[in-house]
Amino acid sequence: MTVRLSMQGVTRGAREMAFVTASVFLFGVTFGVAARGVGMEGWTALAMSMAVFAGGSQFAALDLWQAPIPWGPLLVATFAVNARHLLLGASLYPWFSGLPPWQRYAAVTLLSDANWAQTVQAHAKGERDAGYLIGSGLVMWAAWAAGTGAGAMLATLSAAALKAFGLDLIFVTFFACILVEMRRDGRDDLPWLVAAVAAVAALWWLPPHWHVLAGGVAGGVAGVLRDAGR
Amino acid sequence: MPDAEIALLAIAGMAAVTYATRAGGLWLMVHVPMSRRVEAFLRYLSGSVLVALVVPAALQEGAAAWIAVAVAALVMLAAKRTLLALVLGVAVAAAYRAL
Repeated sequence: MTVRLSMQGVTRGAREMAFVTASVFLFGVTFGVAARGVGMEGWTALAMSMAVFAGGSQFAALDLWQAPIPWGPLLVATFAVNARHLLLGASLYPWFSGLPPWQRYAAVTLLSDANWAQTVQAHAKGERDAGYLIGSGLVMWAAWAAGTGAGAMLATLSAAALKAFGLDLIFVTFFACILVEMRRDGRDDLPWLVAAVAAVAALWWLPPHWHVLAGGVAGGVAGVLRDAGR
Repeated sequence: MPDAEIALLAIAGMAAVTYATRAGGLWLMVHVPMSRRVEAFLRYLSGSVLVALVVPAALQEGAAAWIAVAVAALVMLAAKRTLLALVLGVAVAAAYRAL
């Protein structure tokens, strides 16, 4: 099957990602509530969710949302929290390199952890349509924006609802499922162990939000070095 | 609070930086010659990123997160059904919290 980008792929991605709608919506609600909590106007919170679509960096921005805007810290924090996207994008390259550049760069517009993971899993099962990443991202984007709007309007809901149903755990659990499916006997154990140790070490010793980058790079390097030594 | 124009400008700045991180990985790889070693690195990278997302998050969240992860992993090993594993993992963790 050749590499392509089509509406069918978008539809498939959207359909197979639909199961996260409720939890992304509720995460959006917590962001909307938190944004109103620091005094941000509702429309500003909604505009941010629609344009940025990256929860971690948006929560980080709330700490810095004041007049005058601290431009340097705001943009550096946004980069630091989202730098892990660099690794996600790089991992898609062997597949996306078969697309025209504009399609390649359009397809990653809504790249985030969960739809990347879903797309990697679909690729392993034979998916070759980059629209899959867009469709699965669109579902999350719509739920994130709708949740933010609802949270900004209501602003009385709390994160307790999220925790009561375990919905705050859905991504961690989802990523663990994909790991089980992805694991190759004997090959992945060492690099993944290195990734875990590096990520936890980074959590303790590096500034916040660098642990995914540290773990990802450490595990990747460990795997290549181990293979070279064989 | 910032004025409306400044707020929109700040959001546009954040959006631009975020898109740069999304596109940057692909862009960098254009300039790295593909080899078997690079391909192996990217394959190990995918799993390692997931490990780096799961382990610190579970460590910070505590027992409920480990329960969700363990239950889901066991269901995956037994039945290979992602959605089932996800629902059972989260449900058992929510039940544990309710205890």
